[in-house]
Amino acid sequence: MRLSGRLRSSLIIGGQGIRARKMRTFLSMLSLFLGVLAVVTVQAGSVIAQRAMLSDVEITRGKDGTLQMYLPSNPQSVPVAIDVIKGRGDAVGVTRGKAVIGEPGVKPLNEGGGRVDDGGGYARAVNVTCDAGGCRPVEDEDAGAPQGQAIELGMNALTGDIRQFRPFRLQSGEWLDFSSAPSLSPRIVLNKYAAEGFAKHRIPAEMRVSGAVANATPRIIGVVDDGGWGPAAYVRSDELLNWMPVDSLSDQRYGTMELMLAPTATDLQQTLRTRLVAAGANADEIHAETINSLKEMQSQLSLMRWIFLGMAAMVLLIGVAGILNVGLATVGERIEEFALRRAVGTPRLLLAGIVLAETLLTGLLTAAAAIGFGIAGLKAVSSVLGSREPFLQNVDFPWQAGVAGIIAGLVAGVLGGLIPAIRAARIPIATVMRA
Amino acid sequence: MTPLIRITGLTKTLKGQDEPRTILAGVDLTLHAGESIAILGRSGSGKSTLLSLIGLFDRADSGQYLLGDNDITRIPERRAAALRSEEFGFVFQRFFLLKHLSAVQNVSMALVNGQGWLPRRKRRAKAMEALERVGIAHLAKHKPQRLSGGEQQRVAIARALVREPRILLADEPTGALDTETGNLVVEALRSATDRGCGLILVTHDHDHASKMGRVLQLTNGVFDATPERVVV
Repeated sequence: MRLSGRLRSSLIIGGQGIRARKMRTFLSMLSLFLGVLAVVTVQAGSVIAQRAMLSDVEITRGKDGTLQMYLPSNPQSVPVAIDVIKGRGDAVGVTRGKAVIGEPGVKPLNEGGGRVDDGGGYARAVNVTCDAGGCRPVEDEDAGAPQGQAIELGMNALTGDIRQFRPFRLQSGEWLDFSSAPSLSPRIVLNKYAAEGFAKHRIPAEMRVSGAVANATPRIIGVVDDGGWGPAAYVRSDELLNWMPVDSLSDQRYGTMELMLAPTATDLQQTLRTRLVAAGANADEIHAETINSLKEMQSQLSLMRWIFLGMAAMVLLIGVAGILNVGLATVGERIEEFALRRAVGTPRLLLAGIVLAETLLTGLLTAAAAIGFGIAGLKAVSSVLGSREPFLQNVDFPWQAGVAGIIAGLVAGVLGGLIPAIRAARIPIATVMRA
Repeated sequence: MTPLIRITGLTKTLKGQDEPRTILAGVDLTLHAGESIAILGRSGSGKSTLLSLIGLFDRADSGQYLLGDNDITRIPERRAAALRSEEFGFVFQRFFLLKHLSAVQNVSMALVNGQGWLPRRKRRAKAMEALERVGIAHLAKHKPQRLSGGEQQRVAIARALVREPRILLADEPTGALDTETGNLVVEALRSATDRGCGLILVTHDHDHASKMGRVLQLTNGVFDATPERVVV
């Protein structure tokens, strides 16, 4: 890259000026450092918060762009959907139901499916089921049974790997393998609330699933964080189907099958609609929506970010005042130097450029220091608090914060150097150089 | 042959809070290549003001200023800066050396003025050559604080010569020096005229003035009509 002579001259002279006045430069940097650091911190904080929020939302709702479809409550919906998405890597069907793992013929420790420590509770109200004929209470299967060593959990049967849409965080063990043949002993992955219950209580490995013809013996193979709020488990739907008819896979009390489709799977959506309507489903009951979590979050985050950026700007302004103060004092001290430079042919514009180059270099050095401090600080926070806060584990310094720091340094350099630069350019040679 | 400088009827009035004060009241001056002129005069006679007009530090109120064949009486500041770089070299009574730079850096600073670009090695070579010319190349790495008054002034002369100007303007360059050192400095300035450089020396010292080709006496803003050469 070839720089113009004037730019090179201003950088060389600016660099000489900084070297000649190290202490002043340091003091300027000090006053600006906190301001730039505030901008870097706010930007980094907001990006990391956004990442963390997005990550949580992705786990519970799904990645941005994912197409979510809810099937109508038609008995043929689930078999048709399973048939259509069979072998497709860009779509996953999820059915939800209730499962009780533990002693047969007893009431679970958390009847209703709440957290085991809370004794269930949230769903102890009378269960109801609704259809076109209206809603009516569902008979309690465990009515009159004694309480025993069993845990009730939400059972999610998956037709494929859902993590491409909802990136669950694996906490231990392994995730479901969809490439192997289905097993008669269903492999299940628990969420952390279910895992807590199984860790605290000795529960026999017998699983009752609503709609199943017999109890199965499950194998717990892993634990994930699914962002849920109650005990849940994930199982391959084909392994569950070994124990129940396909039309019982979806428990109407928990809704029908939910499909998650990649944004590119438009053909699949069309085929599915056609097949469902052909099977007698009402087209108006097929609902689809695209997940757009980032946009929803940004409106929440932007207000907070602007408030913090405003505060950071105030701190930055104090730093600018510091640079301005030092800059004006320095120009006053260097009147003879600037007059001499004009005498040897340096144009006014270049003189202003020299002063601006000094403040810009100071701003950039400060920005580099603040960014370095930010990176080191984030690493320290990550290593100290990472074990307690998952979103701080292996967190990278956001590049946006680096850019914001550099822009803040440059803006502060320009604002703090402008008035001194104008003064330097206006120094009269004749008056200063007179014998 | 066209003179380097031809000035006709140059006037300058200072307008302050008090009454306007006429400093130059119609000065005529011609300088040829290789010629040296000394300007003598009492304090306040307008010597330095005239030099600042010639060096384009300031503008005259009226009159005409020709540099070669070009009328530069009313040129814009940008062009004036370029001419100060290309055509003029300046030596001042106070040496105006930059404390944080070494002798050679003080000389080469005149080459880093945004008027063209020379690589660092070439800048240094030219600065060393200029220091050689005034006989202090061996002090190139010294900072001004470590140099005597005479040495500092010779660094300033080297700075004035480094761009090989056609006109050298010196405003009382020996004012802060003892006689012997002053003589050395004047000799260094005068030797520049051997290469065709025109020299205008403003001084109070008649001895130094007598070493110039012509001597002019400035009184009340005008040159005395006769005689041009003073007898010491």
